[in-house]
Amino acid sequence: MTNVTSTPTTGSDRDRLTLELDEAREQLDATNEILAAIGRSASDVDAVLGAVVESARRLCKTDAALINLLEGDTFRVAAAAGVSPVYLDYMANHPIMADRASMVGRVTLDRRAQQIRDVLTDPGYGRPDVQRVGGFRTLLGVPMLIEDEVIGVLLMWRNEIGPFTDHAIELVTTFAAQAAIAIRNADLVHALQIRTSELADKVEQLEALHEIGQAVSSSLDLDEVLTKIVSHAVQLTDTDGGSLLELDLAAREFKIRAAYGTSPALLDSLHQAHIALDSTLVGRACLEAQPQMVYDLETAKLDPHLSRLKEDGWRSVLAVPMQHEGTIVGALVVRRRSPGNFSDDVSGLLQTFASQSALAIVNARLYRELEQKSRELQVASRHKSEFLASMSHELRTPLNAVIGFSEVLLQRMFGDLNERQEDYLRDILSSGRHLLDLLNDILDLSKVEAGRMQFDRSQFDVLTVLQSSLAQVRGAAQSRSIALSLDLSPDVGEIETDELRFKQVVLNLLSNAVKFTTEGGAVDVRASLDGEGLRVSVSDNGIGIALEDRERIFDSFERAGRARNQTEGTGLGLTLSRRIVERLGGRMWLESEVGIGSTFGFVIPLGVRWETQPSGAVETGPVVVIVEDDHHSIELLSLYLESAGVRPVVAHDGASGLAAVRHLNPSAMILDIRLPGMDGWGVLRELKSDPVTASVPVVVITMLDERPQAMSLGAAEYLIKPVGREAVVDALGRVGALPSMPLSDVVANQGEL
Amino acid sequence: VSDVTILVVEDNDKNLKLIRDVLQFAGYAVVSAGSGEEGVELALERPPDLVLMDLQLPGIGGAEALRRLRDSSRTRLIPVVAVTAFAMRDDREDAMEAGFDGYLSKPISVTSLPAQVRGFLQAGVNGSD
Repeated sequence: MTNVTSTPTTGSDRDRLTLELDEAREQLDATNEILAAIGRSASDVDAVLGAVVESARRLCKTDAALINLLEGDTFRVAAAAGVSPVYLDYMANHPIMADRASMVGRVTLDRRAQQIRDVLTDPGYGRPDVQRVGGFRTLLGVPMLIEDEVIGVLLMWRNEIGPFTDHAIELVTTFAAQAAIAIRNADLVHALQIRTSELADKVEQLEALHEIGQAVSSSLDLDEVLTKIVSHAVQLTDTDGGSLLELDLAAREFKIRAAYGTSPALLDSLHQAHIALDSTLVGRACLEAQPQMVYDLETAKLDPHLSRLKEDGWRSVLAVPMQHEGTIVGALVVRRRSPGNFSDDVSGLLQTFASQSALAIVNARLYRELEQKSRELQVASRHKSEFLASMSHELRTPLNAVIGFSEVLLQRMFGDLNERQEDYLRDILSSGRHLLDLLNDILDLSKVEAGRMQFDRSQFDVLTVLQSSLAQVRGAAQSRSIALSLDLSPDVGEIETDELRFKQVVLNLLSNAVKFTTEGGAVDVRASLDGEGLRVSVSDNGIGIALEDRERIFDSFERAGRARNQTEGTGLGLTLSRRIVERLGGRMWLESEVGIGSTFGFVIPLGVRWETQPSGAVETGPVVVIVEDDHHSIELLSLYLESAGVRPVVAHDGASGLAAVRHLNPSAMILDIRLPGMDGWGVLRELKSDPVTASVPVVVITMLDERPQAMSLGAAEYLIKPVGREAVVDALGRVGALPSMPLSDVVANQGEL
Repeated sequence: VSDVTILVVEDNDKNLKLIRDVLQFAGYAVVSAGSGEEGVELALERPPDLVLMDLQLPGIGGAEALRRLRDSSRTRLIPVVAVTAFAMRDDREDAMEAGFDGYLSKPISVTSLPAQVRGFLQAGVNGSD
């Protein structure tokens, strides 16, 4: 057996080791417990401190353990174990100071752990009162440090004398450190929470401002916007009520525009108050461009505004000015029912709201002005139309006599004329006709601008119209040696549009070109087809039109400097021509180079073979296609349909009618039988044989008495002319072509076709 | 054709004179009235073959005069043509709505008036349809 040299383990050693192990285990458990408490709730510092003192007391087998936290100059007991409520109560009223009279004070000052073996024999101990209430003899204090700052002391005591071992001190030091960490964490969490809540406030403010910003820009209901601003201002500044006062600069008085948290009685009272700019708190805020506050209305100097607030029980007031670009717009006021100051934050926030409010008010004022101006313009425009209409009428009547009698005489109805008489009569007649042209242009322009010009579609040959237009200006061209030429591309044949209006436009451009081309010049007319439609241009080699005049020349009575000295022409022709082209679905343009010449061109779309009635009285509602070639009937039927809330679409022949039905899917077709080209029977047959259009009900309105044939071909209704409004509307009602909500009769006319 | 009588209702003296002279030159017998009431009275007394009626008349307007002519069996079948110088309102549409048989726009054309009148006489009542 090998003699093993070893240190024999005595029983007492084993006991000590076992003890140390147990202690270490217990300490570990305690630490874990504290860490768990920290982990559970970093913000609940009381729970952590409670766990610390409980564990420290248990592990060190002391009678009491306390955490004293330094708050200002004194200590507060933040957690305690093994201490009577009487002691805690006493300490709350007689706190320990950070001086050498107490254990806690000494530890704080020395920033290190220390103990007093027996307080009763310690000469420096200066709080016998505390000792009597606590009943302790031996004290151990350990500092709680955060970054070398003492924030508190972990105090342990024994009621019997029993000094703490180094081991115990070390243990308590560990606990103190953990308590300090817990407090620091809690502080951090608290700071974080404050920051989070500040951020939340900021977000709330930004959201409110955003909402207000949107309201300011999108809503023109000023009261709604301002009320929103006041309510947000009150809520975000955490006050009890508020109001917004608008300044009437002329009267130098404020008027309440919006309020929140304000009783109807107070609002009424404020409305009646004379809140002058020069003698009130809100006025001072505006005049000095500085927020003004009243700490307590009970003791403040009052004005008519403030006294009414005071009567209603308000105590403190903050008023900020609302300005926009240096102009006082009004003031924003928030108030509380308790006295107190308003922080800079609140004041700053309110000023932000005030500037938003100012903007809203300024916007609304601008809008009001704009609205007023546009109303005035509308009135002026109506007056202009009425004036033009009555002037035209008044001038036409005497012109009738001037032109008529001149013609009578020139016709030699009542005897012969000598040469001079005939010459003068021709002058009278041509002047009269010129005046009439002018009137007609004015009248046409008024009509087209009011959307009341009638357009009659027909099929015609472009070449014929262009040649006849050229013939009309040939005389004027020859007298000034101007060459006329026509260049028609071969694919231009017949088109369908309003022939008279088309010719009116061409003639206007042509006569302008001849008029403004220098002697010996040339005027070229070109016509071609392209994807957009029929393109017609009239070029001259006149003086041209400067860039700045090119748009103006289309305005009424403008001749853009090129012919102000010329007397002929109404100055309305181009305006009228452009409007007509636009009404025909096309556009007009001008290309010009000063000194080289000008080209006026227009394009009108082709292939449109039906039209909505120009009155446009009914904008929505079911569509009914009228296939009818007689203008009289078309107009009456259109009126009947519009009066019943139906949109009439007119096709002047059968093929166009079928095309319109295929494109528009109308709720019914009104069909005449006698039509150019394909007659009504053909239309009916084709419509009913095409599955796409077969379901469209057809109301035949004709002079023929052929009901059986119409019914056998699939007509839904058959009416014989003359036919009144009621019969037409009733028939449309029976085939389900009327709007579900019947309109009141726009036209009560019961005339017959 | 001197047995064809045309009643011209027109309140403007010069226009009345012009129409009358031109129609007389064309061979028609012309009866003239300066107001709607007078026109209706004359027509009922001695029904003409055609009435040219100004729309804007003092007292009862042209439309009302037309209605009165249509109300009587003596004058119901006389074609009545509206003569207007209305500017803004759609005179043509108004005239047709009111039930006139035709429409002449001022200023009338001296050269074409006789032919126009002949056309109205041939078409008769509701001749435009």
